[in-house]
Amino acid sequence: MEENIKDEAAKDNYRQAPKTAVYVCHCGGNISDVVDVKKVAAEMARYPGVAVAREYAFMCSSNGQDLIIDDIKKLGVNRVVVAACSPSLHELTFRGVLQRAGINPYLYEHVNIREQVSWVHKADHEGATAKAVKLTQAGVEKVLRQDPLNAIRVAAEPRVAVIGGGAAGMKAALAAAGKGLEAVIIEKAPRLGGKLLELGKVYPSGEQASSVLKKFEDLVAAEKLITVHTGAEIDFVGGFVGNFKINFKKSDGGMAQIKAGAVIMATGFEHYKPHKGEFGFGEAANVVTLPDLITLLKNSPAGRLEYAGKEIKSLALIHCVGSRQIEGVNQPQADGKVNDYCSRVCCTSALYTANQVKEKYPAVQIYDIYRDIRTYGMRHEDYYEKASKDGVIFFRHAETDQPIVESARVAHTVKVKDVLTWNEELEIKADLLVLVTGMMPSDIKFLASQMKLAVGADRFLQEVHPKLRPVEAANSGIFIAGTAQAPMDLTETAAAAATAAAKAAILLAEPDIPLEPFVAVVDEAKCTGCGLCPAECSYEGALMMTEKNGKKLAQVNPALCKGCGACVAVCPVRAIDVAGWTLDQFDAMVDAIGKEG
Amino acid sequence: MTRVNPELLEEIRKYGAFDISACFNCGNCTAVCPLAKEDASFPRRLIRCGQVGLEDKIISAVEPWHCYYCGECSQTCPREASPGEYMMALRRYLIARYDITGISKIFYKNSYLQISLAAGLFAALVVLFNRYTGDFGALAAKIEMAFPVYVTLALGGYVLNMYRHIIVKPLGKIALTFKPKHIYETFYHGFTQANFTGCEETDWWRWISHLLVMSGYTLTLLISNLHLLEPLNERYTPFGPVSLLVWYAGLSIIIGGGSMSLRRVFKRRESSKFSHPSDWLFVTMLFLIGLSTLATHFTNVAYGPENPLLAQLYRINIAIETVWIILIVPFTKWIHIFFRPLAIYFQHIKKEAEAGTAFSL
Repeated sequence: MEENIKDEAAKDNYRQAPKTAVYVCHCGGNISDVVDVKKVAAEMARYPGVAVAREYAFMCSSNGQDLIIDDIKKLGVNRVVVAACSPSLHELTFRGVLQRAGINPYLYEHVNIREQVSWVHKADHEGATAKAVKLTQAGVEKVLRQDPLNAIRVAAEPRVAVIGGGAAGMKAALAAAGKGLEAVIIEKAPRLGGKLLELGKVYPSGEQASSVLKKFEDLVAAEKLITVHTGAEIDFVGGFVGNFKINFKKSDGGMAQIKAGAVIMATGFEHYKPHKGEFGFGEAANVVTLPDLITLLKNSPAGRLEYAGKEIKSLALIHCVGSRQIEGVNQPQADGKVNDYCSRVCCTSALYTANQVKEKYPAVQIYDIYRDIRTYGMRHEDYYEKASKDGVIFFRHAETDQPIVESARVAHTVKVKDVLTWNEELEIKADLLVLVTGMMPSDIKFLASQMKLAVGADRFLQEVHPKLRPVEAANSGIFIAGTAQAPMDLTETAAAAATAAAKAAILLAEPDIPLEPFVAVVDEAKCTGCGLCPAECSYEGALMMTEKNGKKLAQVNPALCKGCGACVAVCPVRAIDVAGWTLDQFDAMVDAIGKEG
Repeated sequence: MTRVNPELLEEIRKYGAFDISACFNCGNCTAVCPLAKEDASFPRRLIRCGQVGLEDKIISAVEPWHCYYCGECSQTCPREASPGEYMMALRRYLIARYDITGISKIFYKNSYLQISLAAGLFAALVVLFNRYTGDFGALAAKIEMAFPVYVTLALGGYVLNMYRHIIVKPLGKIALTFKPKHIYETFYHGFTQANFTGCEETDWWRWISHLLVMSGYTLTLLISNLHLLEPLNERYTPFGPVSLLVWYAGLSIIIGGGSMSLRRVFKRRESSKFSHPSDWLFVTMLFLIGLSTLATHFTNVAYGPENPLLAQLYRINIAIETVWIILIVPFTKWIHIFFRPLAIYFQHIKKEAEAGTAFSL
């Protein structure tokens, strides 16, 4: 592990006089086609404090890495600068090289002469070379003033708290427990299940949701490592990675607190509720939503599809109700925003339900009115094809030509300007109108504000990166499972929940958690206790005033500090620095760049 | 504003083995169809009209008559909706719709009724003709002379109805075209069936079979309707002008009709995969007409008009022709031959009407 440094070696390096090596990378021709790398290396070799400077075709290759290790071992180099690509690409690679060679990995500086030089100054080779030299010199100045750093380690509660006890929550808890981690499910409803309690047959297995729920419940009940609190109302979430505290009111009225090293947000979704008058909803009889139809289908007798005592011989599905809304066309939600996202699962769900209606009541005529059909999942297209073959008639409208519903006493007439019939205005008569409603995240404003979670414009919880860190919240130790993050079907929810649990298990695999050392450090001798800095801090609990030997002092909690530097900027006496990015280092870098010649 | 009517498709479905419910409007059929040249809507547009039940649009369409069922659309269809077979079914449906007597509709839906009626009528005629003691040659002449009158009356209703649905209703007026080019094209396509060759890979043998049947059949029709043959009164020379016509007519029908039947048996091509009972009745009857005409004429040429076998064969020949004229020609399959050139003519009227150059009332 990178953080697993030998303290002795680090101390030794620190006591030694700085001996810096500079490596200029060609990056194939990416850099060397524009920047005169030989000249840069020659200039750097002459620069004060530089013991050796080299250039090489690919510093990141194993030969390039060996070059650094050799110099460290043979020449006694103890600080390294590599002028190459973006640090986001290879900074960690080279820190690893230093560590393997036995010196503190933070005595390293990565200078970007590709994105910041060769790629942006293609026409000016001379200027580019001069700029590369300046930036590399600044890098040398910085690394000369670099202290060896050690990863911060915080002790962690070996337990994960799962907020929400639906499919995502149960799956996450089971997966975490499977890895030997204690899991606590906190569910606000009186029983586990979430939306599984409402659903009928679920694709692709065709099982009843109730039987899926039963399986989940049995597994959860049998798992000794899982504790379940239902009817729980959370009123406080605090702490930080490794040490979260969740206070909640139990179903019996008493208070309880859970301490957890990680939190999994499995707070789920709510169905979009059409506003009154949207396609006749809430005004005309026989206008229902897709979840209503699913319930109806569960309870309807064989041979006759009935709604409110009347036989339904034809039904029309209208897609994208509450999804892919357009500003100015659709009525916004309470927060003033329309739901402009696609809820993804409703197309498949609508077709799957239509097929069930056709199976149970073959004579019922089904009309499907859509903007686009998005049956994106594995074999979901089969449901579309089956519906089509079984005589479901499809109509497609443009986004600006919404279907118009005219409701009479007995039936509805839907008017559609049908793209598939060369924009012919068609009239569809149907006994029952089914609005295919989309998904909205559950109302978790309170939790989001307590936990400072990033929420997207669509109100769903946001991950750090959709591909690189798909289930992690920006706040360390918090993971997202299922539809709290985006509309998903059950299969995807289960996969996301298992991933979140795996990430939590990895995080809590050891008794303490390593964190990056780039946090604020207070020089107690200089601090006057003025109290300006805590007011600037955006991370609650990261920086607070305290008293030590009768002196007021600023104190940093390294587990909560993100190293943003806001406190550094306001300190009138330069008593705070971010480790690895000190003001002295910045001063020296600016001086190096600004120096004539 | 048009009302969606799913029942129309249920009705058309009774006329053929297609599954256009499965169509998801991808347009592959149109992309490969050699007929979809100008507005790129055939056959997709008619498929969509069938799906949502736009009866007016279907009943006023001329396109089904341009289609010769090369089958490329059915081979290309990703949903296996058989658009080619749907066009075939549409042609049957349209015949039923244009038939003022309503008999085509009954025959299409109960093909065995048409077949049994044909068989029954044939048997009854053979018995009647055998019992007839008078001059059978004179009776045959009378029967044959009655054919054109009957056929004209029967087909006249179709023409008027088709014209009403395709021209009068959509255009709101009576319109005609007299341009020689249009009239020539109508006859040219009617006789040569040149649209066949528009198919991507021309199925030459099918085209030749069609052409043989068409020409042979038209000749037979002329020979009988003009009463050119009097086999009981006259002995024909084997290579006289009338004989040459008969040899050609009879052989063309047998070869062409025989090949078409074989294709329906082996089902190698899209166009012959599905056979409606009316198709079988049609090819069988054609074959029998060719065979009986040839047999009659051959006996006359070989053994002379007095031959007793000839008397028998001629009675059978006239009985078959009578059944054909009464029960087959005005109903179901035969009308195709008649409607294809008409559709070309109506198409010209429509185009001229759009351009404003049609003669109209």
